[in-house]
Amino acid sequence: MKNGKILVAPAMLWLSLFFAIPMFIVVAVSFASRTPYGQVIFNFTLANYQRFLEPLYIRIFIDTVFTAFVTTVITFAMGYPLAYCITKLPHKWQQPGLILVMIPFWINFLIRSYAWVIILRSQGLINTLLLNLGWISQPLALLYNDYAVMLGMVYALLPFMVLPIYVSIEQLDARLLEAASDLGAMPFTAFRKITFPLTLPGVAAGSILVFISALGMFVVPDVMGGAKSALIGNLIQNQFLSARDWPFGSALSIVLAILALVLIVLYYKAIQKQEGGGRNEEKLA
Amino acid sequence: MMKKRIAVVLMGIFAIAILAMGCGSGAKTQPVKSEPQVLNLFSWADNFSPEVLAAFEKKYNCKINYDVFANNEELLAKIQAGGSQYDLIQPSDYMVSTMIKLNLLEKLDKNKIPNRNNIVKNLQSPAYDPTGDYSVIYTWGMTGIVYNKKYVKETPTSWADLWNPAYKGRVILLNDNREVFGMALKKHGFSNNSIDKDQLDTAFADLKKLAPSVLAYDTDTIKQKFIAEEGWIGTMWSGDASFTYKDNKNIGFIIPKEGTVIWADTFAIPKGAKHKDLAEKFINFMYEPKISAQNYEYIGYNDPNEKAQAFHSKEFLSDPMLKVAVDDVKQGEWLKDIGSGLTLYDRYWTELKTIK
Amino acid sequence: MKKNWRSSALFAYALAILAFLYLPLLILTLYSFNNSRINAVWAGFTFDWYLALLHNRRVIEALTNSLVIATISTIISTVLGTMAALALNRYKFKYKAVINGLLYLPILIPEIVMGLSLLVLFSQASVPLGKSTLILAHITFCLSFVIITVNARLEGMHKDLEQAASDLYATPWQTFRYITLPLALPGIVAGALIAFTLSIDDFIISFFVAGPNSTTLPLYVYAMVKRGISPEINALSTVLMFTTISLIVIAQVLQPQHSTAKKKTE
Repeated sequence: MKNGKILVAPAMLWLSLFFAIPMFIVVAVSFASRTPYGQVIFNFTLANYQRFLEPLYIRIFIDTVFTAFVTTVITFAMGYPLAYCITKLPHKWQQPGLILVMIPFWINFLIRSYAWVIILRSQGLINTLLLNLGWISQPLALLYNDYAVMLGMVYALLPFMVLPIYVSIEQLDARLLEAASDLGAMPFTAFRKITFPLTLPGVAAGSILVFISALGMFVVPDVMGGAKSALIGNLIQNQFLSARDWPFGSALSIVLAILALVLIVLYYKAIQKQEGGGRNEEKLA
Repeated sequence: MMKKRIAVVLMGIFAIAILAMGCGSGAKTQPVKSEPQVLNLFSWADNFSPEVLAAFEKKYNCKINYDVFANNEELLAKIQAGGSQYDLIQPSDYMVSTMIKLNLLEKLDKNKIPNRNNIVKNLQSPAYDPTGDYSVIYTWGMTGIVYNKKYVKETPTSWADLWNPAYKGRVILLNDNREVFGMALKKHGFSNNSIDKDQLDTAFADLKKLAPSVLAYDTDTIKQKFIAEEGWIGTMWSGDASFTYKDNKNIGFIIPKEGTVIWADTFAIPKGAKHKDLAEKFINFMYEPKISAQNYEYIGYNDPNEKAQAFHSKEFLSDPMLKVAVDDVKQGEWLKDIGSGLTLYDRYWTELKTIK
Repeated sequence: MKKNWRSSALFAYALAILAFLYLPLLILTLYSFNNSRINAVWAGFTFDWYLALLHNRRVIEALTNSLVIATISTIISTVLGTMAALALNRYKFKYKAVINGLLYLPILIPEIVMGLSLLVLFSQASVPLGKSTLILAHITFCLSFVIITVNARLEGMHKDLEQAASDLYATPWQTFRYITLPLALPGIVAGALIAFTLSIDDFIISFFVAGPNSTTLPLYVYAMVKRGISPEINALSTVLMFTTISLIVIAQVLQPQHSTAKKKTE
């Protein structure tokens, strides 16, 4: 396939047309200002970026990155074993297993989130259960705090972790593991030295999809967090849907995108180092 | 292998889709013979009695395309972008004045909407559209204090009652910066349209003290939170209070003595609407007394139509929550579009949300 | 013995996670039988919402729109995305940074910004808003997810088989058809699943690029929030969920021999 390079063209053309061109508009707007009624005036200004440097907004950025990071770690801790178990199912049951994991995500996100509210609220399922068992005397405040927000995010983003990891584990050569165990490696050692390094591409893809999606979340903080936590997604949403400040909203979005891009590059650098280690072990095995 | 199985599932879904499409279009295509007119309606969800819509379609041999939005700013963005093809929209009060200023609305032909005279006099020319040239009021209500009599023993009278430490962690406020700051401004006797920095600072300082008591900020599902008794006291729209009361009889609702926000959703026609004539017919139709009664019984908000009172059920007329709003309507102040003043509101609002 | 203990613990953990995924769906199903329009607390049992659903033309239309748009967007974005991932994985590109930027940025940009910018683009180009603009937009935001997922598969794939095939004088097409494609397939399917999932539940971007008569199910539900989401939506979700699960079971029953045969040859 000498001309195989051309295969990338349709997707790139598509993204240029429907993403890059609109994005130029967004960049332009981020350097613009607005009339009292929210219309954008194109007179070059850096004010929107300067405004972002206020401690208030910096703090919101840091909080958001932290929340997204914790979410990614938890989704990984849940998603990897789940994906691993699916690959251990009999071949016939692997795809149904995978789809079974996906089905909840085809149901409307809002009503799933409201279902969580019903489970967690003060007179909800869990509190009623614990009260009746006599384990607690006062209902626990399970909702409308940062933990609830993280729970909601993990719940919303789990499939983005499970699918890429499943895809990587599934292609693992079982003979490598057999060889390792023949050579007397403990299962956990074999996992750590062989399986895990070889599935890093999936882990990387999954983590990035989850982390990025978590950065922009705003429905979960509203529904599960009682709209009490200010995350960057809410801040951006507010600029467009209540403050009517498109230039500031655009500037925030661009800062967010650049920040995420930098983190991704750093992350990939780290992963590549790891993978280098993994590849060597592959050769040894 | 895998692909086939997934393909079977996808095809199954697709088959259902086509089947559903068949059913849907089957129902639609039958009466389509004399090329009926189309009315592209852009509104809030569930904002009309389906029977009333059907009656209009039948009477004027037309089809209503009813599309929905959930936020005034979303509506504005779409209308401003142009090319959205809508004939009739439902902006809220302050959005009407914004849209008039941005020249986005058609003047209504008052002669074609004689039924607007059925509307209560003081709602015919509200502050956001003083001449009534661009909009007709559809639903209206006021923001007040909602409380649960089980937990709040003393009937609240003032916004200050929200600050009562006994309700710590059980206060729910609307998730809207204008509503929350408007409430705090009113508490101090200021206008809820104030853009005076000192007044806003006073309100903000007060709200910071309230913030730790707040269980949640919520506009959309605040009804559910009070029905399930998560919240004991908070701010709510009168129409929503009526909904809440239907499912939980412990709910009370009052308009605080300091005054409050009065709001409305309206009918308006965007510039360049293709079926303006039909849109005006629709508006007129909605204020026919009988139709109006049927419609408001369904949607459960205050009916601004004076002539419709005779056709309303006793239950509707005696709804305690809706009555509160009617009795205290003089306490209400319309929210105005405050233009660039909004930046400070948003700044303080964001800061308020960072308080733990 | 020890190994068994270990793997049963692992499976128990996985089952717990599955329970975590399905617990809200259980509540949602239960509340589809709730005799209250506002659906806040349990108020008695009823079948009314299922009956109402049958007569609700608008919900059915919205569901149809959603399924049609998701299916078309999934197919196109999977094909384009797989092609791009293959090329990116195989060849060195001069402007890799630019290409990667184009790839990752659509995920990084908040949905509302993407939705508004597409709205501006379509209205400037006088493209009438409707189902077609919805499909264009959905493909755009699905593409990157597909490319990243397929790429994760290709990265871990052994290139020896392809090498062997071409050593044996297989044409590039044959190599692709009989070696690369089957090996990459799980990645492609996973990419398609992600695309379908994203498309079927998107409402922010969809809102801005939708036009008259193209309301999708998420748009319909999202707009209903202000008045309280009708339990009809719970009923609909319940029906959809059980339909999908039954379809999987049917598909499973339809081709059992095929996959066992396949397994043996592996």
